[in-house]
Amino acid sequence: MQYKHQPQFNSRRTTRQMGRNQNTVRFVSQIKLGPVTHTVLVALMITVLGLIYLTQATRATGYDYQSQKIEDKIAELSTKKSDLEVENARLTALKTISSSKVASDMSKPDHTNYVKD
Amino acid sequence: MKYELQSGSRSILIAGLLLFIIAVFIIRLFWLQVVQHDYYVGVASREQVRRLVVPADRGEIYSLDMGVPNKLVLNQTVYTVFADPQTVSQPDEIVKSLDEVAGGNTRDKLKDLLTAKNSRYQILATGLTDTQAEMLKDKGYAGIGFQKENQRVYPEGSLAAQTLGFVDGEGEGKYGIEGGMNSQLAGKDGLLQSVVDVSEVPLSIGGKNIKQPAEDGKDVVLTIDRNIQHEAEKALKKGMKKVGADEGSVVIMDPNSGQIMSMANYPTFNPSKYFKVKDAAAFNNPVISDPYEPGSDIKTLTMATGIDTGVASAKSTYVNTDHITVADRTISNASKGETGRITFQHALNWSLNTGFVTVLERMGGIEGKTGHATINQQAREVLYKYFHDKLRLGQLTGLPLAGESAGIMIGPNNHAYGSLPVRYSNVAFGQGMDITMVQVAAAFGAIINGGDYYTPSVVAGTIDNDTQAFNQKTVEPTEKKVIKKQSSRDVTKMIHEARQAFYASHDKKGYYVGGKTGTSQTLENGKYVDNQTIATYLGYGGSDLKNLNYVIMVRLSGKGKNLEGGKHAMPVFTDISNWMLDYLKLAPGDKNA
Repeated sequence: MQYKHQPQFNSRRTTRQMGRNQNTVRFVSQIKLGPVTHTVLVALMITVLGLIYLTQATRATGYDYQSQKIEDKIAELSTKKSDLEVENARLTALKTISSSKVASDMSKPDHTNYVKD
Repeated sequence: MKYELQSGSRSILIAGLLLFIIAVFIIRLFWLQVVQHDYYVGVASREQVRRLVVPADRGEIYSLDMGVPNKLVLNQTVYTVFADPQTVSQPDEIVKSLDEVAGGNTRDKLKDLLTAKNSRYQILATGLTDTQAEMLKDKGYAGIGFQKENQRVYPEGSLAAQTLGFVDGEGEGKYGIEGGMNSQLAGKDGLLQSVVDVSEVPLSIGGKNIKQPAEDGKDVVLTIDRNIQHEAEKALKKGMKKVGADEGSVVIMDPNSGQIMSMANYPTFNPSKYFKVKDAAAFNNPVISDPYEPGSDIKTLTMATGIDTGVASAKSTYVNTDHITVADRTISNASKGETGRITFQHALNWSLNTGFVTVLERMGGIEGKTGHATINQQAREVLYKYFHDKLRLGQLTGLPLAGESAGIMIGPNNHAYGSLPVRYSNVAFGQGMDITMVQVAAAFGAIINGGDYYTPSVVAGTIDNDTQAFNQKTVEPTEKKVIKKQSSRDVTKMIHEARQAFYASHDKKGYYVGGKTGTSQTLENGKYVDNQTIATYLGYGGSDLKNLNYVIMVRLSGKGKNLEGGKHAMPVFTDISNWMLDYLKLAPGDKNA
């Protein structure tokens, strides 16, 4: 048996006699929406949008709290850093060094030799 | 069938009433929301929006330590602990905890303060660190509060107090670098405008939020070396105690850059306790703010001018009679007996006024009679050109320190202050003008460094806020060749000889040290007094003639005390100079340099 390729084009226009841009399926709902239903639906949509907005705004506020916590932590660590720097400066102050045991154990050299570059 | 409401029926009345109520609501809402819109938006903003100032951190101040920046003034957050005695319930426990946690920072009689029931605010302790405050907060005592504040911390105590100045209770820098660079150190506060919740946490909702970050103040590195400063203060204190001086100052400068390595003054103060100072004069830095007649130190500058203009040299001579007449005045030498034909080197060694009046006279192109000097306009103009225009005496140096004074150098044609020949003859040996120590030190640096004038500086650079890198300022001479290089070498040698003549044994062997004494009269109510003189010593030191590393100027004075430069100020110079040679790790230089 031999198969022969035979192009076959179905044109809606030609086969079904449909106009341009016309849907192939036509559906006519049996449910009719009245003006009250429309109003309620619009109100519902607005409510949903409002809820979405509120959710997002609340989420952003949640980030604010997280951000505030981090900033508080930074401030706390910064204060601790300053305290440590002050402590370090006090411990390395000339008065502290000169009264340290290391300084009191030092002695003057008898003579000094100089090396030229 | 058509239904109609009957006229006057209840339904019509109710409808009418409803319409009226609705109309009232609409009008009221219109009034509130449209007419009074701005007012209520304002009220809402006041309730919900906070404008918070984000304080900028004040810049910290560094000194140098062998060329490396080292913090000299820091910021610290501290707490004041206070009590409301009416709500305090555990006074004994609070006293015990305060003694344990903040022993040194507490007030006396804590128990009395806590039980003073007629009061609602008593300060119990100040200056507590964050850790100490947290430990107390954890105890949860009723009636105890904490107040947070920022303060400046000075780990080196009173070191370089007048150079630093202090920050007052309102955060304003006063005196010293704190006053002189207040705007740069203070930075710029930021602004945070935001809707806040009940806990005052800023929220990102709302359309009027502003976040303007604070610009922290600059961290400034001073040219002051803390070790040199410490040594200068120690030597000055020792020297003053020895001679009974009431006031003293030392300035140490690098002649090759104009950078001030130390400015020491007594009496001094502790910047962290500035409010305890009774006499505000202690805040001033006499090195820059107290012009005076420097006396014979200035003979070095007159000699430099004489050499540079070719009218005098170390070996050229004049006839000294111990007195010299200028106009209607006779000027005498303080040291008498070195009479006859002598060299200007000899005149410098013995600090003979007659010699330097003669040098000035020769600047006018006159070789005068023995014992007489004619100070003509040309001589005055030459001296003024060198002293004022080139060496910048009587001019502000522009140091960024509060309270600098320019002093006075009378112009060569200004007849408002009496006889100009007499005045200028006085200027030649350091009187008749009011100038500051820092001006003299800078001028002296210029005549010994080869002839380049460097404007004195006290700021070595800044610390980058982000990288913490030290950005050093480059140093260039303000004016090159204010005197010729050879003139500089010649006068430097003369100053060395002047020191060697009397004080050679005081210096470390192998180094090149020179100096000149100064003893100046003091003025009281416009008249010189006999019972009070100011002692000064101005000198330099280094490895050899061509490698001089420091200029030191010392000044001592006391009420009713006749202090002499050689006897009283010179030992302070010697102490510092010998220490500096070691500290700067200088090797003895080439004697033939």
